[in-house]
Amino acid sequence: MASRDVVRYETPLTRGFRWFSAVFIALYLVWTLLPIFVMFVSSFKDLLEAFKIPAVGDWSGIGVFFDFTPTLKHYRDLFLNLDFSRYMANSLVAAGGSAVISVILGSMAAYSLSRIDFKGKSDLFFWIISTRMAPVVAVMVPLYAIFRSLDLVGTLPGLILAYTTFNLPFAIWILKGFFDNVPYAIEEAQMVDGATRFQAFMAILPLVAPGIGAFIVLCILFAWNDFLFAAIIGSGGAKTLPVATRELVQPQNIQWGSIMAAGVVTTLPMMLLGLVIRRYLVTGLTMGAVKE
Amino acid sequence: MTDTLLSPEPSLRQSEGLFRVRQLLDNVEARPAPSLIAEPAKLNPPPSKAYFFWLMAPAILLLACISLYPFFWMIYMSLHDVEIGSATWNNFENFTRLVTDTRYLKGWTLLFQYSLMCLALQIGIGVFLAVVLNGSRFEKILVTTLLMPMMMAPIVAGLVWYFLYNGTFGWYHWLFQSVGLLDAKSILASPGTAMLGIVLVDVWQWTPLITLITLAGLKRVPQDQLEANMVDGASPLRNFFSITLPNLYPVLLIAVMLRFMDNFRFIDSALVLTGGGPGNATKILPIYLFEVSFKFFKLGRGAAIALTLLVVTIILGMILVKVFDRQQTRKS
Repeated sequence: MASRDVVRYETPLTRGFRWFSAVFIALYLVWTLLPIFVMFVSSFKDLLEAFKIPAVGDWSGIGVFFDFTPTLKHYRDLFLNLDFSRYMANSLVAAGGSAVISVILGSMAAYSLSRIDFKGKSDLFFWIISTRMAPVVAVMVPLYAIFRSLDLVGTLPGLILAYTTFNLPFAIWILKGFFDNVPYAIEEAQMVDGATRFQAFMAILPLVAPGIGAFIVLCILFAWNDFLFAAIIGSGGAKTLPVATRELVQPQNIQWGSIMAAGVVTTLPMMLLGLVIRRYLVTGLTMGAVKE
Repeated sequence: MTDTLLSPEPSLRQSEGLFRVRQLLDNVEARPAPSLIAEPAKLNPPPSKAYFFWLMAPAILLLACISLYPFFWMIYMSLHDVEIGSATWNNFENFTRLVTDTRYLKGWTLLFQYSLMCLALQIGIGVFLAVVLNGSRFEKILVTTLLMPMMMAPIVAGLVWYFLYNGTFGWYHWLFQSVGLLDAKSILASPGTAMLGIVLVDVWQWTPLITLITLAGLKRVPQDQLEANMVDGASPLRNFFSITLPNLYPVLLIAVMLRFMDNFRFIDSALVLTGGGPGNATKILPIYLFEVSFKFFKLGRGAAIALTLLVVTIILGMILVKVFDRQQTRKS
């Protein structure tokens, strides 16, 4: 790029700006990472140690934060006494189930939508996307009434179905963009060679496979992090990690150590998954409107 | 017969014959197999839409069951007094009561106030961060680090911040106090500052998304325009405002719409931080809706509120899709 070769002269103003931006980035990093850091560290602290704090204005007292003997007792407590392994399994089944259903059905629908044109297609599309954008609380009111009459409240299938309300439209919408990028000529060539339509579809699947994989992960992430559906529709029998974490907050005595440990257990897998699909993150989170 | 035998150059004739055979063989190879000629329909079936409709049917049907059917239920419920197992028609009372319901009306005001505060801070910080990070040495690693909060479950984010804001042992509270911004009362405890408290959490979690979107947009700003402008003697600041920013508008618009709708969609962190309090200072509409429906179990009233919320969201969605479309046509 030629633009890189344009010589910029350093003036006091630009130098000042550079310093300012460096400080800004540093401050922003601290502000971003501090809550996560506090969560991690506090989950290893004993109850009283987590409450230690310097006096107001005592800046040299910050070191108190690191003054503790690390303990794993909160994690042990979570998994041995508080049944977190079951909630984790619930989360995994609900999120995974809805992600797989959504992506399988979604890729079929997205493929067809990308290959044919028919009257009312844009209306169908708008309906699909508006399902995804609808406020969770608003959707939940009728869904709760229906699920209650079908005895689906408090069951994993109910929760999977509830998550599918936002994951399926997401999958259709996003994957259509992926199939649009695969030229129809490839399938035509396959079919001229004698492949059936379905075989032709299977033949182009490897081309979109990385995207499909990434969006399964993204669907899992959305469902895993959900709280409202899980709290109302999964309440009782299908308690997931976010709900279980929230329930540790009791008016009388808030178990901060356990809450922080539960937070780590809930957050860590998703952070790792997020890093794995880093490339597709922007596309996914902007519903395909912005590509990196 | 004799003619052939008595030909002066038999060798030539022979080679000619061979050539004919070759030609025939070639012809056979080049032509499709006879069986396929007989049934051309199998080789190249007429493009049928039925196949595609069948392929998309399961998804569309499932989606209809879990979104369209509940939608009609919502309309039905909003017109009735819903008790467990029964529903009685109540003459649009659910809707007429909304007009005089001050908490409902205040819920809208607070929702917009909340969204606008979030957006202003996120756009301001996010765009500045993107401009500063763009092309810097550590861009990749820094952006990846910034992503962390977005992966966190909003409810967990809310809980962690609740801990940090706490009036007796919260580190942020200590910081605010030490700097002199707050007195002994936690930021969430007084009506004047509680809204800022929940806004900060949203800003913390979602500013990176704006930064990411802006970075993607910055990569598409035409470099030659920037260069030409610079040759003409424009300062970097002038360059930013007259070239970079106009080129960013489309992506920023998308970012704004997405965040706006997400503020309508998610209330997880606000729910755990204040639950609408103190008083009703942070009772944004979705929280009010949540209370009406799932705390007092007035499902009919809840459905009426939900319907109004949904309509506004759908209108916002329509605008968003329009923007998407314009974006698509511009690209091609």
